[in-house]
Amino acid sequence: MAATELLTLTIAELAPQIRARQISPVELTEAALAQAERLQPRLGSFITILHDAARQQAREQEAALMRGEYHGPLHGIPIGIKDNIATAGIRTTVGSKVLAQHVPAEDAEVVRRCKAAGAIIVGKENLEEFAAGPTSNNPHYGAVHNPWQLDCVPGGSSGGSGANVAACVTCASLGTDLGGSVRLPGTFCGVVGLKQTFGRVSQRGLLVTSFNGDHIGPLTRSVRDSALMLQVIAGYDPLEPSTVPVPVDDYMARLGQAVRGLKMGMPTDHYFELLDPEVETAVRQAIAALEALGVELREVSLPMMQYVGALRITGMADSVITHEPYLAEHRQDYGPDVLYRTLAGQFVLARDYSKAMKVQRLIKEEHARVLQEVDVLVTPTAPVPAPPIAAKTVTLGGTAYPVRGPGSGIISKNTSPSNATGLPAITVPCGFTVAGLPIGLQLIGRPFEEALLFQVAHAYETVSPARGRRPEVVQG
Amino acid sequence: MAISHETLKAMIRDYQGFALSDDELELIWPELDIYLQAIEKLQELDLSAVFSSRLLRVQEGGQA
Repeated sequence: MAATELLTLTIAELAPQIRARQISPVELTEAALAQAERLQPRLGSFITILHDAARQQAREQEAALMRGEYHGPLHGIPIGIKDNIATAGIRTTVGSKVLAQHVPAEDAEVVRRCKAAGAIIVGKENLEEFAAGPTSNNPHYGAVHNPWQLDCVPGGSSGGSGANVAACVTCASLGTDLGGSVRLPGTFCGVVGLKQTFGRVSQRGLLVTSFNGDHIGPLTRSVRDSALMLQVIAGYDPLEPSTVPVPVDDYMARLGQAVRGLKMGMPTDHYFELLDPEVETAVRQAIAALEALGVELREVSLPMMQYVGALRITGMADSVITHEPYLAEHRQDYGPDVLYRTLAGQFVLARDYSKAMKVQRLIKEEHARVLQEVDVLVTPTAPVPAPPIAAKTVTLGGTAYPVRGPGSGIISKNTSPSNATGLPAITVPCGFTVAGLPIGLQLIGRPFEEALLFQVAHAYETVSPARGRRPEVVQG
Repeated sequence: MAISHETLKAMIRDYQGFALSDDELELIWPELDIYLQAIEKLQELDLSAVFSSRLLRVQEGGQA
């Protein structure tokens, strides 16, 4: 099998062949490193490519196989790690100049789990500066380019991770999601992005910007691979108080089961307002496809979403406090978009922060009520397809909205609510614009019911018009 | 809703914030404007009955 052909396989397709020693972890890792080197000038998706460390890990995993050891589906699988997730002995910049020389002493818990499962880490992936924005146009490490159209953004902040998975550089990548930063690269790059329930995956080793909504989640080329990745990284971490000691489900158990009789809710508030027409058409077609599979459609009302703007207030204040020590010493090392967006947070009053927490509570209660009536919510993941890298604004409903920096937020309008509610949400490719840019369908589920979310997402994936399509850069 | 540069500068001075020039205050304004609009919108919403889940449990008869 040709090297690039190997890389187009999913983890679920590779794993049994690795276990049977038909595919070598060393051969697969060499193919991934070659693809990374070939595409880095065009995609800018890495901050650090780990040639030597990846080769060493691959040799160790191959030797383990030869001894008859098998560590599970990630054994010998090349993955990428967003560069705000700590890797022992490997610099972790968080996409910033401030932390350009930061070398953590320990792996993040998710990295430890992936390594223990036999994964090969091929590189640290480029992102928005301090993971604070949806474009991954990084002022210090260069813009990440969308594999489907190189002059467009890949989404952010985990843009390098989304680009690498779409371009078949990595088989999966770990990104982070505070307002949609896994799901937006998922939708813009035409791959699957998961933000599981808050507390399901340890954040230990992540530079957390907000105590109230950061998540580490996987980007993959299939729903099944997303389930495989979550199976590895999910679980209680006694050293990370936000994790919850809820038993980890078998996330593969419901894949392939019929979805007939399940109920999906289509919100009449917020999520379908201010949409690009091509996005709206593709998502409505996806909902019709789920209906054709037997999922019952109900309209649901979430009137508290009119106050969703208040949720941003807590993030503003949390952000300036996170950055306080860096701003005091390294203000000149910030790019202007993140600097001025962050500094606005110093004016947030405590009374308004407290009000925002009450609004968050109301929105959580409302989603919880609605999710007693339906099994999942269906929404567009992003209101627009990937904008050009050079674009400063996107226009919706006749109004121009900033794409990045102070006052931005339109791109994450449908993803950020799930960070506040903590509910699990997944994006699945559901089509393309006439110009060839991917569009994503977002499914939102009940807390700790990721298995159900995977079941519905997997059923849709089998009928999605986006299935099987890859960007030309994979081969060319 | 608008807040003058003088007020913002006084807040920075009195609360030991990060100094911002007039030009920089203009740069942060779009972010601040969204915050102020969100708070203004909340004036129509009665939040007095919103409690944390811990308090709700007490009301339902649980142990205080």
